[in-house]
Amino acid sequence: MSRRRPLSTRSVRFAALLAAGMVAMANPGAAHNPIFTPGPHVVYGGGLEVTIGYTRDRARGAGDRETGQEVELEFEYGLTADWTAELELPFVTKDLNDDGSSGLGDIVLRSRYRFLRLDTPGVQRAAAVLGQVKLPTGDDGRTPRLGSGSTDFVGGLLYGHESRRWYYNLAARYRLNTEGAGGLEKGDRQFLDIVGGVRPALTGYLEPDTVVFLELNWENAGRDRLNGAAVADTGGWELFLSPGIFATYRNVALRTGVQIPIAHGLDGAQPESAYRFKFEIKYTF
Amino acid sequence: MTKFLKPTGLVLVMMWLAATAVLADSHVYKLYVDGLACPFCAYGVEKKVGGLDGVEKIDIDIDGGVVLVTLADGATLDEAAAKQAVDEAGFTLRKFEAPNKE
Repeated sequence: MSRRRPLSTRSVRFAALLAAGMVAMANPGAAHNPIFTPGPHVVYGGGLEVTIGYTRDRARGAGDRETGQEVELEFEYGLTADWTAELELPFVTKDLNDDGSSGLGDIVLRSRYRFLRLDTPGVQRAAAVLGQVKLPTGDDGRTPRLGSGSTDFVGGLLYGHESRRWYYNLAARYRLNTEGAGGLEKGDRQFLDIVGGVRPALTGYLEPDTVVFLELNWENAGRDRLNGAAVADTGGWELFLSPGIFATYRNVALRTGVQIPIAHGLDGAQPESAYRFKFEIKYTF
Repeated sequence: MTKFLKPTGLVLVMMWLAATAVLADSHVYKLYVDGLACPFCAYGVEKKVGGLDGVEKIDIDIDGGVVLVTLADGATLDEAAAKQAVDEAGFTLRKFEAPNKE
């Protein structure tokens, strides 16, 4: 039985920031999808992609210093050539000033359906819809909380253009948050992403391959509500510039990148993102 | 006598090499695949096409968008099966070339 503490403004802010970071970094990453932007590419029908990832994010301001780390195990299975089922198991460590906690975070179930695929020699254009449910499996009775205590939903539309040399991606997502622990309902969030990528050297099938991405990630959050009342110093938007690298050899991939905040319009006094770092190893069976 | 044997031997060697090449090619199917852009994505082609009956070897030329499929002796590759395998890998089979049988 976990001990529950009353929600303070600080913990509300931290929970909001934690949720923002988690959803932003939870990127369904198959094939050559960008690092922070979900893409339309999916694992082949009957294929299984296993990912071990590490993310770290930090935020500062309003008297707080918050650090989150997450090791996640992700499975993506190709139900068909265009439809995937995905499971994400996060193990998180959170530090808020002098407090710290770690354990299982909120498990994510996700599915993508690629409804459009236009193939021409050396080029693939694709579009997909994304559906995601975040379950309240993380302990919300600890400080800092490991989960939001709410069941949240994400829907998105994803587009990708992939050629031998160039990559372009667009994504739009909406996150619907429900009421979680302590009567806190985080504001819904919107995400818009624009990505460009280039393969500096055109390599063959059984050769190491590298693609460099530059992403622009915009996030907007509505005002949180606590027991139905709007919470001060919550909500607003942040814009990130995110360089990243995707290096592969046959069925093994390394993905890494960092989100750097370049502009924001946060409401009131609240911590601002300092950076978000991500590193992943993928293996396709 | 030596003058006669030398060119004859050369011709025989060349004929043997040509025959070997023809025999080898007789098991190689050429699939022209659209949408192939990256090596990591091409792994699906290796898995799906490589999993078809009788397939011994897969060579993928990403720049050319060509997949060479080498079959075992006596095995054949059906175009419909190849098309389905390529589709399940997430790509499109544009053209199917069976080997010339001598």
